[in-house]
Amino acid sequence: MVIRNTPFYVLSGGLAIVFLFPLAWAAIASVMATPGSAQVTGAGLGNYRALFSWQDGLPTYFMNSVIISCLTVLVTLGVSLPGGYAFAKFDFPLRNTIFLATLAILMVPVATMLIPLFVLLKVIGLQDSLIGLSLVLAMFQLPFATFMMRVSIEGVPKELEEAAKVDGCGTFGVLRKIILPAIQPGIVTVALFAFLAAWNDFITPLILISDSTKMPLALAITTMREQSIGVIDYGSLEAGVVVMAVPCLLLFFGLQGQYVRGFMSGALKG
Amino acid sequence: MAASSDWGGSSALRPTRWWQMRRRSQQLAGLAYVTPTVIFLAVFFLAPLALVVRMSASRWPLLGGDKGFNLPDNYNAIADSSLFGPAVVFTIEYTILATVLLIGMGLGLALLIQAGGKWRGFIRTAVLLPSAMGLASASLLFWGLYSNQVGPINPILQAMHLTSSPIQFLEEPLSALWWTTFLIVWRFAGFYMLILLVGLQSIPRDLYEAASIDGANRWETFRHITIPLLSRSLALSFILCITGSMLAFDQFYILTQGGPDNSTMTIVQLIYHYAFQSQNLGTAAATSVVLLAILLVLNAIQFFRLRGADEAK
Amino acid sequence: MRKTLRLPALATAALIAVVGCSSSATPSVTPTIAASLAPGASAAPAEPGTDDGTRISVWTRASTQAQAQELVAAYNATHKNQVDLTIVPNDNMQAKVAAAAAGSSLPDVISGDVAFMPNWTSQGLFTDITSKIASLSFANQLTAGPIKASTVDGKEYGLPFIMDLSVWVYNKDLFTKAGLDPNKPPTTLDEYKADADAIEKLGGDVVGTEMPGECFGCEVFTWWPSIWADGGQVMNADGSAATLNTDEAKKVYTTMRSLVADTAAGDKSETGTTWIAGFEQGKVGLQPFPGSALAAIPATVNYGVTPIAGFTAGSQSTFVGGDAIGITSNSKHVDQTWNFLAWTMSDYAQVEIVAKGGNIPVRTDLASNKYSSADPRIVAVNQVAGKGVTPLAKNFGAAYNDPAGPWGILTRSALYGADDWTTKIDSQNDAITKVLAGN
Repeated sequence: MVIRNTPFYVLSGGLAIVFLFPLAWAAIASVMATPGSAQVTGAGLGNYRALFSWQDGLPTYFMNSVIISCLTVLVTLGVSLPGGYAFAKFDFPLRNTIFLATLAILMVPVATMLIPLFVLLKVIGLQDSLIGLSLVLAMFQLPFATFMMRVSIEGVPKELEEAAKVDGCGTFGVLRKIILPAIQPGIVTVALFAFLAAWNDFITPLILISDSTKMPLALAITTMREQSIGVIDYGSLEAGVVVMAVPCLLLFFGLQGQYVRGFMSGALKG
Repeated sequence: MAASSDWGGSSALRPTRWWQMRRRSQQLAGLAYVTPTVIFLAVFFLAPLALVVRMSASRWPLLGGDKGFNLPDNYNAIADSSLFGPAVVFTIEYTILATVLLIGMGLGLALLIQAGGKWRGFIRTAVLLPSAMGLASASLLFWGLYSNQVGPINPILQAMHLTSSPIQFLEEPLSALWWTTFLIVWRFAGFYMLILLVGLQSIPRDLYEAASIDGANRWETFRHITIPLLSRSLALSFILCITGSMLAFDQFYILTQGGPDNSTMTIVQLIYHYAFQSQNLGTAAATSVVLLAILLVLNAIQFFRLRGADEAK
Repeated sequence: MRKTLRLPALATAALIAVVGCSSSATPSVTPTIAASLAPGASAAPAEPGTDDGTRISVWTRASTQAQAQELVAAYNATHKNQVDLTIVPNDNMQAKVAAAAAGSSLPDVISGDVAFMPNWTSQGLFTDITSKIASLSFANQLTAGPIKASTVDGKEYGLPFIMDLSVWVYNKDLFTKAGLDPNKPPTTLDEYKADADAIEKLGGDVVGTEMPGECFGCEVFTWWPSIWADGGQVMNADGSAATLNTDEAKKVYTTMRSLVADTAAGDKSETGTTWIAGFEQGKVGLQPFPGSALAAIPATVNYGVTPIAGFTAGSQSTFVGGDAIGITSNSKHVDQTWNFLAWTMSDYAQVEIVAKGGNIPVRTDLASNKYSSADPRIVAVNQVAGKGVTPLAKNFGAAYNDPAGPWGILTRSALYGADDWTTKIDSQNDAITKVLAGN
C-alpha cells in the first residue's frame, strides 16, 4: 500500500507547510518589529519583556495557570475514572440516563452557564477562587473524559478481571490492579485534554475570577494587548500566543505516543 | 453502547438467591462508583441549567434577580427579533460547511497516513500540533495572520506574484465565513483524523485483500468496505462536529464579531449579545433553551441511527 | 501512572509558591517613596472620606489601564487604604459586570465607559453620592458630562475618572509635501476632505485619511462632533429617540462616504484595533484621533491638533468620553472608597499624575497647568473640552457600540452601501430609536 511518487510528496509537504506555517509565523512575528508594540525597530525580545512585567508579572499568571490546569486534571480524573468504570462494567438503575446527562454538557453553550455558575460558586463559598474555577472547568471536561474512560475500560479484556477476582480482588482491587495499568494511555489522553482546555480557557476565568493576583495566563494576555480606544498591540499579542502555546506543544510532543494509543484503545474502533 | 458486562457471567447455573445478591451488590458497587459523577452533574450542571430554564421564564433584570414569571415573553422576544432567523440560518450553513470540510479533511488525512510513506509520522505530528492550542489562542493567532496591518499572507503572495490585489479575508460575508472555517479546519482536522485513523486501522486487512482478488477498484473498495466499516467512527465524528459547530462562538467572536453586517452572527453569539449587550438575561436564557432543544433532537437522531447501524451489523 | 501521581505534588508546590507570592506582594511602600510622591500630602487639610487601611476593589477597562494604574499606584503609596485594581478587557466589561451584579458581588468601584453609565445607573448598580460630590470644594469645576451621564432623578451616582476627547490631528510634514500650509489645519469638513485628497495624491504608502469601517464606537466618537458643531443633534434630550437622519447628519455621512470612495481611506474590516497606527507611523495625512492617545505618538511624527469642525467655518465640537467612576451598591466601604475617589480629583493627582502624563484633567480649573502650557497641542485639546458633548442614553451601548446594533448597519451603508444608501438612513434611524426606547 505504500505510495512512492511525486504527487504524494508534494501533497504531504504542502499540507505540512499549511499546518505549521501559522505557528512558525507567530514565533517569528513575536520577535520582529511591530508598530505600536514594545518592539518598534529591529528584532528582539521587547514584546516578551513587556509581557513579563505586566501588572503582577508573568510568573504569577503562569503559576496560576499551572495550578488551575493541574487541579482541573485531578478533578476530571477523580470523577471520570470511577464514573467510566461504573458505566463500563456495572449495571445499575438510571445508568443510561446518567451517561446521557453527562454527554448533554456538550450541548449547552458555556456563555449561558457562566452567570448561574457565578451565583452557584458564591453560594458554596468558592467565589473568586482557583478551586471553584477548576471545578467548573472540570465539569466542561466531563463528557469527553467520561466517554473516553468508558470506552477504554470496556476495552480491557474480561479474562484479566476474572483472574484478579479469582485472586480475591474486590471491584476496587480490580480497578486499581488491573484496569488502571491497562488504560494508562486513556488516562493520559483525558489528562492532556483537561490540561489543555483549562490552560487555554479565557472566558470562564474572565467571569469567575476578579482578584487580579489569581488571573490565569490566558486572561492576562488578552487583557494586556488592549490599549487605549480599542487599539491592539499586535506584538504582545503574538508573544502572548507563543507563551500560551509553548507549554502545550511541549506537553503534546512528550505525550503524543500515549495520546495516540489512548484513542486506539477501546471501543472507538470500527 | 450496550457493553455492560456482568461479574456473574456464568451464573445461570447457580442458585437464584445467590444470583440476586450478586446482582444487588453489583448495582450498589456501580452506584458507588458513579456517585462522584452524579454529585458533580447535579451541582455544577443540572442546578445551573435549572436556573437558566428559570431565567428563560422570568423577568430578570441585571441587579436584583428574579422578578417573577413572565412566560412566554422571553420566548416571544426571540421570535420577534430580526437577528434570530438569520443567526439560525448562518449557524446551519456554517455547521454544514465545517462538518463537510472537517470530516472530509480528517478522512483524507487518515487515508494518506494509512497509505504510509516515510513522512507519515511527521505529517501526523504536523496536523495534530494545532490541536494543542486553545481555540481562543488559535483565533487570536489567525486574527493577526488575516489582518491587513501585520498579516504575512498578502505580502508573501504578492512577493511571489501570485496575486495582483490583496486577499480580503474578513471584509465580505462569504470570505469571512470561508476563512473562519479555514481556521477551524486547521485547528481540528488533526483531531478528526485521529478518530478516523483509529477506525481505519481496525478494519481487517484480509477484507481488502479479498476485495482486490475479486477485482474491485479503489473506489469500490472505499465505497463498499471502508465506509461501512467506518460507520461508528464517522457517526462519532458527525455528532462531535455538528454539536461543536452549532455552538460556535470563540472563532467568530474574535475574528469577525458577527460582521460584516451581522452576516456571521451565530446563535451563541446572539445569546452573548442578548445577555451582555442588551442585558436581557431572560431572552438570552430562552435562546439557550431553544438551542439545547435543537441539539438534543439532532443528537438523538444521530444516536438512534448509530444504534440502528450497530444492530444491523 | 507515575506521571499522574506527580501532579498533586506539583500542584501543592505550586500552591505554596503562589501563596508565598501573593502575601509578599502585599504593598509595603518605603517611606521615602511615599514622601517623594506626595510632598505636600501630610501637610494638606484632612481628606474627605476615611483612610483606615481598608482594601478597596476597583475594576477598570483595559483601554484606560495605563492612567488608572498610575493613579492607583500613587494612591496606594500615600494612603493606608489599599486599592486592588482589576483590569477587564473592554469588550468583556459588560459581561463581567452582569455576572457580578447577578451574584451581588460587585467590587467597591467600577470605572467604565461613560456611555454605559446611564444604563448601569438606572439598573441600580451605584450608590448615591450627590451630597458627597456637593461637599467638594471644586465640585463646580468638574467636567459635567460624566456626572450628567450618571444622574437619575436628580441624584448623582458617578464622577469623571479618565477623560477622552475626539480631535483632528494632521501630519505637518505631509501637509508641506502636498503643498499645503502646515500651519493652516482644516476649519471645516469640506477643507478636511480637500486636504485629504491632496495628500492622497502623494501616493506610495501614504494615505489621505483613515476610516475604520467596522469600528462603530470610533464613528460615534469622530462623526458626531461634526453634527454638533453646526448645531445639529443626534438624539433627543433624554436619549430615547435618534435624530441621525437629519439633513446635517446626512451631509456628514456624504462627506465620509466620499472620503472612502476618493481617498481609499481606511479598511473595511478595521474594528478600531489599529486605526491610529498609520498616523503614528507618519503614513496618514489627517484623521480624527482620541485625545488620550496623543501622548503615544512618537516624537518623529511632526503633527498638529485642531478641533473637529462642521461645515460652517469656525464651528467646533468634540465628543467628551472616557471613563466615569462610581461606588457600587454592593460596596461595604463607601467612606473609604470615597477617600480614593476624592483623591483622584485632587489638585495633586490631576496635575502631577494626569497632566504630567500628557492626559486631560477632569477639572476645568486645571485645564491649563504647568505641564499643558509646555505643549500648545495639549492646550488646544483642553480648550475644546468646554465645547464638547457627552451624549446620554440609557441604551447607548446596545444602540451604538454593539457590532450587531443598528448604528453599525447605518454607518456601513453610508460608507459602503449601494447608491440608494440614503434610503437606509431613515429606516436605521427608526431602528436606533426602537433600541433606545426599549427597556
